[in-house]
Amino acid sequence: MRELPQEVRELDDDILAFIRKGVDHQDAHTFNRLALRAFELQYHHIPLYRRYCERRGATPAEVSSWKEIPPLPTDVFKATDLSLLPEHTVSTFMTSGTTQPDEKGKVTYDAAGLRLMDATIYEAASAFLFPDGLKSIILIIAPPPDMAPHMVMAYGMNQLMDHFGLPESRFLVGPDGFEVQDLEDGLRRSEATAVPAAIFGGSFGFVNFFDYCRKEGVRFHLPTGSRCLDAGGFKGRSREVGRDEFLNECEEFLGVPRDHCINLLGMTEIASQFYDNTLYNLSKGLDGPRCKINPPWTKTMVVDPDTLQPLPAGEQGLLRHFDLANRGHICAIQTDDVGILREGGFEVYGRALEGETRGCSLTIDEMTRVLEQG
Amino acid sequence: MEVIEANGYYLPPRLREVIKNFRTEVYQNECITVHLKIPVITGAIVEELADQLKKNREKYLAELPIERIVAVLNEASRRWLDRDYPYRKLALRTIPVVTGFSHEVVEASIDVEMESSLEKDMWRALRSEIANPLYLDAFQFSQELNGYRRAFGPELIVSFFSENIPALPHLLFMRSALVKAACLGKVAAGEPTFAPLYLKTIEDIDPEMVNSMAVIYWPGGEEKTENAVFKKTDAVIVFGGVDTCNALMERVPRRIRFLTHSHKMGFGVIGREVLRAEKIKELAAAVAYDHGMFDQHACLSPHCYYLEEGGEIPPQAFARSLAGAMEEMQEQMPRGKISPRDAVLIHQLRGKYEFKELKGEDCLLLASPNSTDWTVVYERDPGVFCPSPLNRVIRIVGVQDIFQVLPIVKPLRPFLQNAAVAVGDEREQEFIEKLAATGVSRITAPGKMPVPSMMWRHDGIAPLASLLRWCDVEKKDEIGGMVNKKNGETP
Repeated sequence: MRELPQEVRELDDDILAFIRKGVDHQDAHTFNRLALRAFELQYHHIPLYRRYCERRGATPAEVSSWKEIPPLPTDVFKATDLSLLPEHTVSTFMTSGTTQPDEKGKVTYDAAGLRLMDATIYEAASAFLFPDGLKSIILIIAPPPDMAPHMVMAYGMNQLMDHFGLPESRFLVGPDGFEVQDLEDGLRRSEATAVPAAIFGGSFGFVNFFDYCRKEGVRFHLPTGSRCLDAGGFKGRSREVGRDEFLNECEEFLGVPRDHCINLLGMTEIASQFYDNTLYNLSKGLDGPRCKINPPWTKTMVVDPDTLQPLPAGEQGLLRHFDLANRGHICAIQTDDVGILREGGFEVYGRALEGETRGCSLTIDEMTRVLEQG
Repeated sequence: MEVIEANGYYLPPRLREVIKNFRTEVYQNECITVHLKIPVITGAIVEELADQLKKNREKYLAELPIERIVAVLNEASRRWLDRDYPYRKLALRTIPVVTGFSHEVVEASIDVEMESSLEKDMWRALRSEIANPLYLDAFQFSQELNGYRRAFGPELIVSFFSENIPALPHLLFMRSALVKAACLGKVAAGEPTFAPLYLKTIEDIDPEMVNSMAVIYWPGGEEKTENAVFKKTDAVIVFGGVDTCNALMERVPRRIRFLTHSHKMGFGVIGREVLRAEKIKELAAAVAYDHGMFDQHACLSPHCYYLEEGGEIPPQAFARSLAGAMEEMQEQMPRGKISPRDAVLIHQLRGKYEFKELKGEDCLLLASPNSTDWTVVYERDPGVFCPSPLNRVIRIVGVQDIFQVLPIVKPLRPFLQNAAVAVGDEREQEFIEKLAATGVSRITAPGKMPVPSMMWRHDGIAPLASLLRWCDVEKKDEIGGMVNKKNGETP
């Protein structure tokens, strides 16, 4: 494979150095400079994005802040390849696309772009998930990457296992589905040996496991230092559970205290991940309500759902993320998540698309559902 | 900030004691706060209410001549059409706060609904459905039967109103009154303010008649309350989502007459002969009106318009004219506020089409800048129906031939209802015949989609006749003791 263009390599070196500085620094100036360089690169290399920006009068000559860089709605990745260097692609990740399976969002990575993502995974987890540096038995309620090569969560959790897992760590979703007995055995081993366990997985996987525990009368008292990391929603694959109830059940069935339960916001369209702040706060002796933290190589803003204009702090709206590690496609991503900015991060309330359209005209959802049921 | 105390229910004077517990819901926009009083309903309350309404009906409404009923309802419509009518003014202040619709849309809705609910409309609807309206008053001689015939409405009709179409619930009270049935309306959480005001009007005009009408609210799907009300009623009319209708259908006892109007989707078809330069502005305004009225929330509203290629004006050019018309519509009758969900749906659609356009595909995205107020998308027929996320998102679909539309809409039979058609040449009759066969129940002209007449067989059902039970007397001589020997005449 040909070498990446020099300007890309240079930018990657600088972004990587910025990520490697960890999470305990604030350098808005460098962030902005790197963001503008990434924008310029994307503007020049991705013709569709360039035209999209031109229509909005946002050219590298005009834009002076990361906040002015035109974001792309996540939906666009369903129909359009927006790779910076498509000919260098080494990995492709896709969204689960449960509502319309034929319309999956697709994001590609070149080798250097993947290294940026790897760096974010390591740095963010070191600070927000394992600030105590503890190694544990990592049990993952998800398929391994070789079974789900396009699932970004499987990729990321595999990285976490490599960095932070003890040898007994493993993925628990195989060709026959969720191997619940293996999870039970792993947790019992953790209890017996007092080696902490870290359970990772989709939120719905946890809830299905809790339902299993309730039915079978199973409870665990995992050793101190054990923790849970859940990501994604329920998407109709388990009971719908509120955050509070979820945390209660982690305590009830696993014996993992609430501040050791971390929710992760990860998106296929965004290379970096956003963790809950509870373990980080604990490690730093900080107080404050639970929210997601922006690692320094990311920024988040909240915009009005109708006008898409930025809202003042404290107002609820749609979340828009900017991620330097997205160098390989588009850094500015407009999501459908409703949330609010918090000190050092943000809080997510849910997806805007939940709920119903009013009125008596048929909605797209309704039509799809009825036609599918036949 | 002005505060308005409003009622999200109506109980006739004699029944006001039935409900003791109320709660208040608060709605707010930039300048008005509405405190909406909502009764707390239990199964026992609805049973009691249903019994009382039926009793009151028997004493008065059931005996009231149809001419008097029509006169009362006509007077109600006329009052609501008066711009200075206090209840109308109140509705225009509260409904926008509660529903998010603009003042202008609510005003236009009231006008549209009430203008088609006058005396002449009611008589025509009655005649069109049951031939002689006096069948509702007494036995009348029927030539065809060679005997006497009379029609009876249900004792009590329970109506589930659809949310968010202002001024629509009055239609159910009108239909019930015209068949001399008591009516218990269940308002939707989305728009509980119009129906109570309408019944206040009836109270002012005929305080006895209103004693067989009430409006209450309970959360849809509350089985205890609904089963209690089903015990007492003999007809149920439901406006609601496909799921709501299906769920109720399973629980409603078989003896009950059950009419459903579930969510529907409309569309338009314009032939190449009509797409002429001199007509284009007028046509664009008509199509803009179809989409702008009710902000596309009504079952009558179109999701898309199919335009035939090969006319003087190609579909793309029409889309551009339409964008201009939508901008004008926005100035005259602004779209209401929408939820983040609905805004996201619009932005997603725009994103999708903007990129198709950037990629050089044969499509066009025209949109209000810096807002989701209106969107026009043009594309060539993708072979499947193109639903709109609504709230003034218009999809213009180019087809080579109008007959291509038929196989596209055919699979949607359960949802078909309104179609606007303008063919403009000799193919029109054949097209209409074939379109009717796919399942649509109303074919009209562009610009007329939101304004059906009372004569319309709503969703293919005769809405009055479907509620009636008939009694035939096979006796061609006079019935002994009958006072009015000659069949009466109605206006």
